[in-house]
Amino acid sequence: MHLFRILFFYEWRHFRAARGLVLLCCLLLATGLYGIYYGTTEIERQRQHLANLPELTRRNVDELKVKFPGPADAGDIGYYHSTFAMHHPDRWAALSLGLRDVNPSYVKLRLLGLQNQLYATDNTNPMKVLSGNFDLAFVLVYLLPLLIIALCFNLLSSEREEGILVVLLAQPVRPAVVVGAKLAFRLVVVLGLAGLLSVVGMLWAQVPLDGRVIMWLSLTVLYCLFWFGVSLVVTALQRPSAVNAVALLGVWLLLVVLVPSLLNLSVATARPVPQGIALTIKQREEIHGGWDRPKTETMNRFFALYPQWRDTATIRERFVWRWYYAFQHLGDLAVAPQAAAYAHGLQQRYDLVEQLNLLSPAINAQTSFNALAGTDLPTHLQFQRSATRFHDSLRAFYYPFLFGKVEFTHADYAREPTHSFTSQPELPTLYRGLVKLLLSVAAVYGLGAVLWRVRPIIPR
Amino acid sequence: MMHSIAQKEFISTLRDRRFGVLSALVLALLLAATLVGRASYRTLQQERQLAQATVNEQFRNQPARHPHRVAHYGSFAFRPKSGLSLLDAGVDSFTGSAVFLEAHQQNSVNFSPAQQSGSLIRFGEMTVAFVLQLLVPLLIIFLCFGAFTQERETGTLKLLLSQGVTIRQVAWGKILGYSQAVALVVAPALALAAVLLFTGEEFASGVDLAARLTLFVVSYAVYFFLFVVGAVVVSAGQSSSRAALVTLLGFWILSGIILPKATANLGASLYPTTTKAQMDAEVHEQAQHGLNGHDPQDKRAAALKADLLKKYGVDSEDKLPVSVAGLQMAAGEEYSTRVYQQHFAALNATYQRQNRLSDWAGLLNPYQAIRPLSMGLAGSDFAHYVHFQQAAESYRYDLVQRLNGLQASMGYGDKERRLDASTWRAVPVFMYQAPTLGWAWPHLFLPMAALLLWAGLLSWIGLRLIATTPVA
Repeated sequence: MHLFRILFFYEWRHFRAARGLVLLCCLLLATGLYGIYYGTTEIERQRQHLANLPELTRRNVDELKVKFPGPADAGDIGYYHSTFAMHHPDRWAALSLGLRDVNPSYVKLRLLGLQNQLYATDNTNPMKVLSGNFDLAFVLVYLLPLLIIALCFNLLSSEREEGILVVLLAQPVRPAVVVGAKLAFRLVVVLGLAGLLSVVGMLWAQVPLDGRVIMWLSLTVLYCLFWFGVSLVVTALQRPSAVNAVALLGVWLLLVVLVPSLLNLSVATARPVPQGIALTIKQREEIHGGWDRPKTETMNRFFALYPQWRDTATIRERFVWRWYYAFQHLGDLAVAPQAAAYAHGLQQRYDLVEQLNLLSPAINAQTSFNALAGTDLPTHLQFQRSATRFHDSLRAFYYPFLFGKVEFTHADYAREPTHSFTSQPELPTLYRGLVKLLLSVAAVYGLGAVLWRVRPIIPR
Repeated sequence: MMHSIAQKEFISTLRDRRFGVLSALVLALLLAATLVGRASYRTLQQERQLAQATVNEQFRNQPARHPHRVAHYGSFAFRPKSGLSLLDAGVDSFTGSAVFLEAHQQNSVNFSPAQQSGSLIRFGEMTVAFVLQLLVPLLIIFLCFGAFTQERETGTLKLLLSQGVTIRQVAWGKILGYSQAVALVVAPALALAAVLLFTGEEFASGVDLAARLTLFVVSYAVYFFLFVVGAVVVSAGQSSSRAALVTLLGFWILSGIILPKATANLGASLYPTTTKAQMDAEVHEQAQHGLNGHDPQDKRAAALKADLLKKYGVDSEDKLPVSVAGLQMAAGEEYSTRVYQQHFAALNATYQRQNRLSDWAGLLNPYQAIRPLSMGLAGSDFAHYVHFQQAAESYRYDLVQRLNGLQASMGYGDKERRLDASTWRAVPVFMYQAPTLGWAWPHLFLPMAALLLWAGLLSWIGLRLIATTPVA
């Protein structure tokens, strides 16, 4: 143990003297801090955008109050009035932005058919979303392994190349203690950095102190341990430093770049998504066909679903709002199977990726971070379901006015339902991610142990 | 002598087993990416063509309807993929493919491939451009990092120079040899791509495509050349192979992974934009109250009606030969579209300011020069996307105004009448004509200049530095 401490201490002195490595650590710290800054400001911006939306609804209502000074037909209000379904980020989203910039964080809704409103997108700069987010998760998943590689690629090889190893091993010291001390020192440095960044990120983003703090830290530690395991395996092969560097970078390239892009391709081929385009085209046909169909046919189909309005007056007018909204809703129902298939197809794609992410701990870590922060596709699908329920509640609010022929007064605006949805973490995905990461770590250390056993250290 | 050195490097590279494995891998990825790119191009193109044909048919086969109902029925514009996008998908995965065109409002372009996949897509996509921009430079680095350090470590550099060659000639010989080896890896894939592009019946192969492909190949040749020269220069400047390799890999990570993301994110933080909801609300309010705030819509509409009555010398609406509602609608559409165009232009100007940081970073980072150049040539960059958006909006405007014109010509009481089904068959359908290379040229100038500048400076200053390198 004493020997271990001496070796550990000399690693520290060695590290302090190697200016390049200190610089790299500072660089990682700086990029990590930038990642936290960027993530928190990006989420703050999204919050600000969402906070401005009720003001837009208020302005819309003010305009309608001028346009309809007295009691109005609720049909007119439903047509001209717009409100928003809003997807508020969780505080954790600042550390792992996921797809929050690709998917819109709100949907503008009117009483009309839902399906051609639900998939509207927000303004985005395609070049920016293509480049991706420089958040803390990016620093941890992409850059931290590179620091580990830079620290470990010449773990033993440099000692051998400088002729120190032969002297070192001539001392009464077990090789395992030498490697252990070197690795332990690097582990302390890397975990210290990762832990520091994580804690700073959590404080900066003001995350709630729940079980997810432990989850985030466990994910980070396990992911670092995995890369140290890879370095251990490569060190066990006892090749020159340059070969080690190339091999380690090759593994990084494979797991962080190649496997994800190839997996993306194969998943898109294996799980083709039913066309969203076809869905909106069909819904338009259904809704506009509503104008040309006999009114009694439309109303009978509608009353079969809403028998409570069956006893309302028969429509004799050329145009009446309740008929108009009835065929809007029937248009949505006609494409309900397609809409469900579309959402289901997207979820299946995600599920397949989740099953296969055992292939690359990088994908696993990224998926798990996003699941923890509630920023991936499933959360967006949840938001869309929540927005659908909100649209249902809007219809339920307006139908008594429309079918009961109740006039819509200025006081009724305040009674209209509002919507708010906050991202929830995908805990099952997160737990599975942790278990799989643990498996990857066990596998790589198992391999390392076997290699060290079969290959004794060659001193020169 | 220079040629013997080139030949020696070329042959010994080919004999190197590690290079063989790596280049086979890169070549396999390139060929796979080309084939997969074409398959996905075909699927997407067929889907979009089918969808466009469907909505066009639906539009032309409408029954007798009032024109304003047709304006609300509207149409869709689908963005066709550009031929070269099978090599470089650019921003295509993050931009929508379909936009609904209707009266009174400009809708968002929806259903981007990125929205149809999980966050996996953020790791990057396996396209030919991805292999060429990031993996081939890595191959070049592995190939060239020992160009001078190894000769120095084994003492052969001294022997070589004692033959009477200058160190510059040695450097050029090596650059030439390595370049040949790289060409051998990349050429088959690009040749396959060219064959696929010019034999596939689905590609409108023409002069424009040929010019774009040629420039595409030339740009990548310059890009690889500057990496070869750069790697050789670094190898000459560093004391050991290990130091040269670490320096080059550090540069690769900084330029290929960190800088592009950092500059894009920084640009977006510096120049904030508004949401579509906010923008739509402002467009609506300005159209209602007038661009200057003192010219409300109902006043404009009333003035239009008064003018019409005066022009035709009648005292009531029912005596007019035209429909007042139709003309008011046309005037309203014209006004609101003008307001929208101002906001759309401002939004795109902000996006351009956001992207300018990345564009100028191309002068410091060759990856950020080849990336916009490549996607610009492939027709899959931001500018080409905006071109499509504008084409779709201009078709929408013409369509709606044509329908408003039809309504106006129906005269008083138009709401009670419909126009014959044959009317809709005479309306032109949406046909998107992708812009030519000449149109794209201004966007490509900066990255092209940056690449040439890099190549020029490296061959000039870099090679001067090599001349001062220590021999042993």
